[in-house]
Amino acid sequence: MTSKIINMAEKLKDAEDRLLESMFAAEPIEDAGFSKLVVTRIRRRLWLRRLALPVAMAVGGAIAIKPASELVVAVSKLLTVVPDSVVQAPSDWVPSVQGIAISGSLLQTVVFGIALLGAGILGSRMILE
Amino acid sequence: MEVHGARTIAEPATTCDDQYLVALAVGSQDTAAFGELVRRHQSQVRNFLRKLTGDIVAADDLAQDCFLHAWDKLQTYSGRGSFIGWLLKVAYTTFLQSKRKSKRYAEVMDEVGHVAELESRNVTQSAEDVTDLEKLLAVLTEEERAIMVMSYACGLSHREIGEATGLPVGTVKSVIFRGKEKIRTSFDIKDHQHG
Repeated sequence: MTSKIINMAEKLKDAEDRLLESMFAAEPIEDAGFSKLVVTRIRRRLWLRRLALPVAMAVGGAIAIKPASELVVAVSKLLTVVPDSVVQAPSDWVPSVQGIAISGSLLQTVVFGIALLGAGILGSRMILE
Repeated sequence: MEVHGARTIAEPATTCDDQYLVALAVGSQDTAAFGELVRRHQSQVRNFLRKLTGDIVAADDLAQDCFLHAWDKLQTYSGRGSFIGWLLKVAYTTFLQSKRKSKRYAEVMDEVGHVAELESRNVTQSAEDVTDLEKLLAVLTEEERAIMVMSYACGLSHREIGEATGLPVGTVKSVIFRGKEKIRTSFDIKDHQHG
């Protein structure tokens, strides 16, 4: 009921309101490719979003492949050096120096990968902006 | 929002109402449906921004940004008010954000001594080019201008303007009243209401 009264009051325009409406009135603007341009930009953004993660993963993988392969080689070398009894023993038996070497290299790769992924996401966001 | 029933293949998007097109755009990322919404409302949005900025090129750039933001936030449109009301809210927010950005940009440029360049860029119109409406809008504050344009140029109700600007209906009414008073006193318009 109250809203109806408000709407009625809004409809009761005086001459001043009509004068202002005529002053504010503007010719409709032709589309002239505007909507097409907006849709093109949206589609481009959608494509960029879809591509951003695979591209970031591919780039990150390509960069991380070298340290990762070095890590695999180092671990395989380590396994040949360390006696079987030690390799098969529980993890807390593994000598600490070798453990640190492996975890250090792994940590380096992981940190590098995360940093790269972050940079990729940030870069793609900047492109989108 | 829900899509009520499936659209028949033969039915063109131009015959659908705004709510349905929004549902299509949100539900299936249908850019063609959103394109139809842009086509329908671009004139009002561009006119609104042109009146706020007073610069055709800047307004059209902002209108593009506004529709991109609208696409990103489309799922937040509840479908309760009119779509153009919601769109003008996005346009007004986009305008305010750009103002803040350009203000910050001006501050940075000012710090490095590029005042002259900015001033020359801002002078886009000569004194003769200023229309009656621009003179009228010049006496209003930014908020008053936006609300008056929404009311008199876009035909939004006070409730819709309140939703678009985040102000209570009572405040919207008083801003319009104040704006009219300013215009009346600045341009010596006689009060038609009282003869």
